[in-house]
Amino acid sequence: MGERVIRTADLRNMESYLNNLGNSVNIVAGQIENVGADLNNTKNTLDQLINEFHQFVRSDQLQKNVQLAETRLVKVRQELETEYGHYGDVRRRVNGILQAVDTSLIKKETIENASEDQMLAAPRYWLAPCLIALSAWINDNKELAEKAMNEAIRRDNEKTALFFALVTRRGARYKASRKWLENYFGLQDPHQLEREIVVLIDGFTNGIFGPDARIKCGKKVESWIEELSQKVGFVEEQREQWKVALESKSKKVDEELYPYLREFGKNWGEIEQSLEGVKLHKIIADYFQDVFAKEVTPVKSIAVAVDALLDTLVSRFDDEELPLRRDERLLSLVIQENGDQERAEKLFEEEKVIENQISFTQLLTNFSIHPEVSNASIATQKFSISLSKDWIKSAHEDLTAENRANVPIDINLSIDQWEGVTQDGTNEEELIVSINNHVEKRRNAALSKVKLGVQHWAGLIGGILFTLTGFGVPFLFILAGFCYLYFYLGRRNLRSRKAHISSEFDQLSKYCTENLRASIAEVVDYRRDYKENDANAQLVTEFLDGISPEQYTFSSFDSARSVQ
Amino acid sequence: MRRPLLHSKTNTQLSSRTESRTKVEYTGLALEKRLRQKRSLNYVNGFTQLDAGTVTCNHTEIDELIQKIKNEFSDLQPYHYPIGIIAKCYLGDDFIVHTLDTRLEIVKHYKKGEALPSEMDRGKSLALHPSYEFIEVYSDTLRAVSSNGNVAIIKR
Repeated sequence: MGERVIRTADLRNMESYLNNLGNSVNIVAGQIENVGADLNNTKNTLDQLINEFHQFVRSDQLQKNVQLAETRLVKVRQELETEYGHYGDVRRRVNGILQAVDTSLIKKETIENASEDQMLAAPRYWLAPCLIALSAWINDNKELAEKAMNEAIRRDNEKTALFFALVTRRGARYKASRKWLENYFGLQDPHQLEREIVVLIDGFTNGIFGPDARIKCGKKVESWIEELSQKVGFVEEQREQWKVALESKSKKVDEELYPYLREFGKNWGEIEQSLEGVKLHKIIADYFQDVFAKEVTPVKSIAVAVDALLDTLVSRFDDEELPLRRDERLLSLVIQENGDQERAEKLFEEEKVIENQISFTQLLTNFSIHPEVSNASIATQKFSISLSKDWIKSAHEDLTAENRANVPIDINLSIDQWEGVTQDGTNEEELIVSINNHVEKRRNAALSKVKLGVQHWAGLIGGILFTLTGFGVPFLFILAGFCYLYFYLGRRNLRSRKAHISSEFDQLSKYCTENLRASIAEVVDYRRDYKENDANAQLVTEFLDGISPEQYTFSSFDSARSVQ
Repeated sequence: MRRPLLHSKTNTQLSSRTESRTKVEYTGLALEKRLRQKRSLNYVNGFTQLDAGTVTCNHTEIDELIQKIKNEFSDLQPYHYPIGIIAKCYLGDDFIVHTLDTRLEIVKHYKKGEALPSEMDRGKSLALHPSYEFIEVYSDTLRAVSSNGNVAIIKR
């Protein structure tokens, strides 16, 4: 059996390969870190791009909504004109006849003929038989007048009663006017009033009706409120109703204000909400003061005043037109809110002014807050506000307390991966130290990653080895020279990279400190702004305490306000 | 609209049942209405006098406060009482608010930065507002009481 000799394996090559492999892995790991950093940057840029894209889509959508609303609004108005335009003829003739009788310029036959035509042209319309009744009354045709009146009552009992109450008042027939008003009141349920009640309240507050009717009207309003107040939860309902109404006056915070808190305040949403709420005090106080500062100028004669009310009665409250009127209002709100459909719908819901039936108190709220849409005059607006003042005060107190409770105690700031908290900016120096420490920590971490690679150290070792062996083979000195040069260049490059990174972090430190100081300055401004505006809450209470309903109704048409 | 001759609708949401000669079981809006009623000056002053003593409140004082609550809400069931009351604290610069826990019958004064129990914490900023004397904390609402006894409600 032959002897087998096992020689010691020469593993130097393998060790060298393993070393090389280890070096390569280190290099790859370094590259992966770089890729990770690049990825983070790319993600940030992408997030920014996505935000900008969303903003663009939103603004494009809003613009399209406005255009669509404008087109639809034109269409709705055309439809109103086509469908109900002929009602306009009837309305104009009512006014025409009343004024013609005043001046006695038209023959009675002409009035009669004109009225009959309208009856044929406007079937189902309650005003057409009223017109016949009116002309028959002028022509002393009692039988026809009664027939026409019955037809008008059949078509719309309440509007007819109100119409004749006004017409008879215009003709100084006080007894008849009072009877028609009594008839009208008898039909009313304060829980569900028809929209045209505004005409009656307007007549009352502007002193159109005679002394008897005025007293009756005042008592009726009192009894309605008394009746409604019996219901448990009534006051709570009024308060909620008024809270919604007052909140509808709030305005967005100017987008140019607080730019740093918008960008770096993590709870900017809460800050913005508290500012919107606190600025509402002044808006409400100004609104009420403006309303009460407006002078109620009595018109020249009772005829002019009644004509204005008749015009409102016959042109604003026809139920057939209601769906189109609602569309018209909603589309107008979409345009007013620059295409923000959601906000427009919310406002539309809050207004509740274009409803078939409405409670007396909701009506008062509408008169007070949305006079233009509810067709209320200044006198009615003043009367409604003063009648509702206790509910307004109570709702305002709740809104104020809610706003105060939601003021953020801590303002959380987040600037370039640093986060800090301040309440009123008094810890500014502490926060600046904190943000500088944070930047310094990041700088050190970044610098610690910048070091010579294995290849550079290998170059240095190679240089030493070649120098030592170069005495035998002088050629190796040249190789040693190349190795030293490679190591030197590596070191020089390292210094310049470190200097570059350090300068970037210097800039970051400056950016962070400046933004932090600016944000803290805005926190101080915010606290001051809030405090100043919060003091305005008192204005609303003081103003409402100083008014009463009696001050804001005319004692009679011919004299000025009873107490100013 | 024409007024109906008979009101057939009844309000089913609200009910009030007399339990004894003095206690009434309020629910829903009736309870809300009752708890909004203006507070008596005796009751309001009771809580503002807490600072007159020292940081440690003896049990007699706490009993007096609890009695004031019972007197103020004499027609209510105990479970309708506030679960706590928070008011500004004037004992010294260190202290900012004090609380009365009506269930545990404990008065505690809190320093700046010190956390209040979670159910009380939401009323802290409101308690510091100069317009209110103290805040009544209920499970679902806060009621801010002014020096004249007026009550404002903050729902959750």
